[in-house]
Amino acid sequence: MSDVVLKGLRKSFGALEVIKGVDLHVASGEFCVFVGPSGCGKSTLLRMISGLEEQTSGMIEIGGRDVSRAEPKDRGIAMVFQSYALYPHLTVRENIGFGLSLARRPKAEIAEKVAEVARVLQLEDYLDRKPKALSGGQRQRVAIGRSIIRDPQVFLFDEPLSNLDAALRAQMRIELTELHARLGTTMIYVTHDQVEAMTMADKIVVLNGGRIEQVGAPMDLYDNPATPFVAGFIGSPKMNLYEGETARALGAGSVYGIRPEHVTLSESGGLWTGTVRHVERLGADSIIHIEATGLGPLVARVEGHRAFAPGQIVHASPIDGREVRY
Amino acid sequence: MQRRSPYPYWFLLPAGTIFAVFFLVPTVASFYFSLTYWDPFEARFAGFENYQQFFSEPFLARGVMNTLIFAVLTSGLKTVLGLLLAVLLTSGLLGQSLLRSVVFFPVLVSTIGVGLLFQELMHPTEGAINVALEAVGIDGPGWLTNPSLALVSVALVDVWRGVGLATLIYIAGLATISPDYYEAARIDGATRWQQFWRVTVPLVRPATTTVIILSLIGGLRLFDLIWAMTRGGPGFASDVLASVIYKQYQAGFWGLSTAGNVILFLLIALLIVPLALHLNRREADL
Amino acid sequence: MRPRQVILGIVSMAVAFVIFVIPFLLVIFTAGKTAADASQIDFTPPVRWQFWQNLVDVVQTRDYQLLLAYWNSTVITVGAIAGLVIFGAMVGYVMQRRDTRLTRALYFVVLSGLMIPPAVVPTIWLLQEINLFKTLHGMILIQIAYGLGFTVLLYRSFIAAIPRDLDEAAIIDGGTPLQIFFRVILPLLKPVTVTIIVVQAIAIFNDFTHPLYYLPGAENVTVQITLYNFQSQFVSQLNLLFMNILLITIPPLLVFVFFNRQIVAGMTAGGVKG
Repeated sequence: MSDVVLKGLRKSFGALEVIKGVDLHVASGEFCVFVGPSGCGKSTLLRMISGLEEQTSGMIEIGGRDVSRAEPKDRGIAMVFQSYALYPHLTVRENIGFGLSLARRPKAEIAEKVAEVARVLQLEDYLDRKPKALSGGQRQRVAIGRSIIRDPQVFLFDEPLSNLDAALRAQMRIELTELHARLGTTMIYVTHDQVEAMTMADKIVVLNGGRIEQVGAPMDLYDNPATPFVAGFIGSPKMNLYEGETARALGAGSVYGIRPEHVTLSESGGLWTGTVRHVERLGADSIIHIEATGLGPLVARVEGHRAFAPGQIVHASPIDGREVRY
Repeated sequence: MQRRSPYPYWFLLPAGTIFAVFFLVPTVASFYFSLTYWDPFEARFAGFENYQQFFSEPFLARGVMNTLIFAVLTSGLKTVLGLLLAVLLTSGLLGQSLLRSVVFFPVLVSTIGVGLLFQELMHPTEGAINVALEAVGIDGPGWLTNPSLALVSVALVDVWRGVGLATLIYIAGLATISPDYYEAARIDGATRWQQFWRVTVPLVRPATTTVIILSLIGGLRLFDLIWAMTRGGPGFASDVLASVIYKQYQAGFWGLSTAGNVILFLLIALLIVPLALHLNRREADL
Repeated sequence: MRPRQVILGIVSMAVAFVIFVIPFLLVIFTAGKTAADASQIDFTPPVRWQFWQNLVDVVQTRDYQLLLAYWNSTVITVGAIAGLVIFGAMVGYVMQRRDTRLTRALYFVVLSGLMIPPAVVPTIWLLQEINLFKTLHGMILIQIAYGLGFTVLLYRSFIAAIPRDLDEAAIIDGGTPLQIFFRVILPLLKPVTVTIIVVQAIAIFNDFTHPLYYLPGAENVTVQITLYNFQSQFVSQLNLLFMNILLITIPPLLVFVFFNRQIVAGMTAGGVKG
């Protein structure tokens, strides 16, 4: 049992309240991703769970135990930092074994556990190197190794992939997902990248302005965004959102939305008519930017590279049942 | 319950205790003792007697004046020469790094050693300086024996000893100026002279502030060089506050000596604090 | 290198030779002369080199006082530096990591400590009260107190460049404050520690004023004090005086040769930040 339960969690820095009451239940073994724009409070929330930051009010339970005021080391957590926080003066071996050595465990036990972790993470060949002699992906693995060796109930990840290049990031996403499958431990993962959230999470928590906007499985959030913010945040390119008169004309109370991939284009006829402003060709598909009459800017995504050219007049329609209205 | 910080205040205790006991306590106590007749046997309250004496006795007042003259003279020379040397030693000339070492080395040498060395070199008849001057037909002065020259001679030696540090600070300051400025200035048709005055001098300002303040503090507090070279003589001609403080202490006038200390403290505070604020403000305006 | 830079370099080296090198050559030459030969200081090599004899004479003066002085100076320097490095780094660490009203006020006190001249006679009075006057322990504590400003300033600015993530990783690993400081932070401070050791060692070794006030007595002599004391004795033996100057110039020269880079880093960092 290693559920993480947050109840009425709040945090203020002086007069500024950055976490405005968060209630959340992360089930045991779940891969939970906190996602949101910068400044939404996701990192602060993670740091409060770790104990590095103290909440102003509210309660944190890990594995059924109230750890609200416990020291970080007593919470059964391990954390992987954005910068990896590897000790530059220590070898990979010493980095991984550092926590055990602080706890003054016998040398033989440390060596045995380090060897075991190194085997799991395929770091055996690098044990005597210093961190600066490692590649980005290897450093990442050492940072994970340092967490695994603590045998925690919960892993905390603070934007661990943001320092890697695109190719390596894709590879590490897969490695982390596999690691989670193998260990079956609860993981809480913070990122600003909705692609990471969508691809890795069992459960996504979308945060905005210190509050939870929505909690749900990735496809849940994609199909049924609870708020316009979630609708706009999840999915790429962003959902087309319209407010006010325009939205009301389309049958919404205040906001109307349609995803670019749910807009069909035709040369003959459709709900909206507009002029093509700009075309981004990505190979497999193309993003068409349209200025639609009575609607404003509209983005559509079409497969392949169908011949749309700037200046051309096109007709667009939403796919039935994929529109969202608030 | 508040959890304990990983950066506990008690880390400040060992250093804080030593600093408080051996520096702060005597500093605070000096304000009281400067108001007493104090000798090795007793301390009696005397009001402002000591201070009055300091400014009425010519040989004590002279020390205050000399301190100011010495500090301004050495600080000015170190600033100007330091900047010129730094520009020279960053221009890529032959033997540049060797020259930097040579100019800097005296900074590390014992001040007493330097003082005694120059005391011999400046001997009016047998010193190497006057012997060399005589060889080219100049009748060298009594560097340390002429009362109107002694203080200046010591100041020159202090500049000889300390200009390397000023140069070093200026070299570090020059290294922070982007070459783009010089290239832009050259494209605008600036001469080397104009580049120096319009680019280097304004942009190296933070280093100038540092050099002026460091050398002023050093000049105001200087004791060992003067003591090794002249002991404040001839007469009281080259006495500065620091040497007066020592002499009065030696003579058993502890209260008077401490008053000198307080005067030195006030002099530094009154000179450096406004100057630092002024220089830093102008820096912030850049 | 353009011709201009070559010519300017040669001229500069000639001038620097006259102004900065000749005085040191004079020291070396005179230190090798006989007393009669040395009576007039001039720029000629000794008629007869008696370097070793002069060295032995200086060392033997006043019952090997110079050796005692070297021992005392070493004890003071090593003791003071050990204290400065550990206590100073602790202060710089907490001051940088914990930005509170208290640490900001203390930082101001540290800065003013760089400026204020020590109140010497009250310090002597205090040392007498706590029985540390004329003791090496007292002198060590004084040197620590006077060197803290520079040390704390340098450590504080260096620690700002060490990511806090490292502390936090160690906190999560269960490190106590002392463990984090000694096992994570202090090892990472090595470059700046070397700088501090070198710069402060030279300053304390070369210090004349404070031993003069706080450490009188023949059994407490330090290297600088010996030189000053011998001056009167060597008045007619300038060869020995200059040998003595040479002997106390050698340690900083060696340090300079080996730690040039660290000295430059420390002097400019301390200066520019101060």
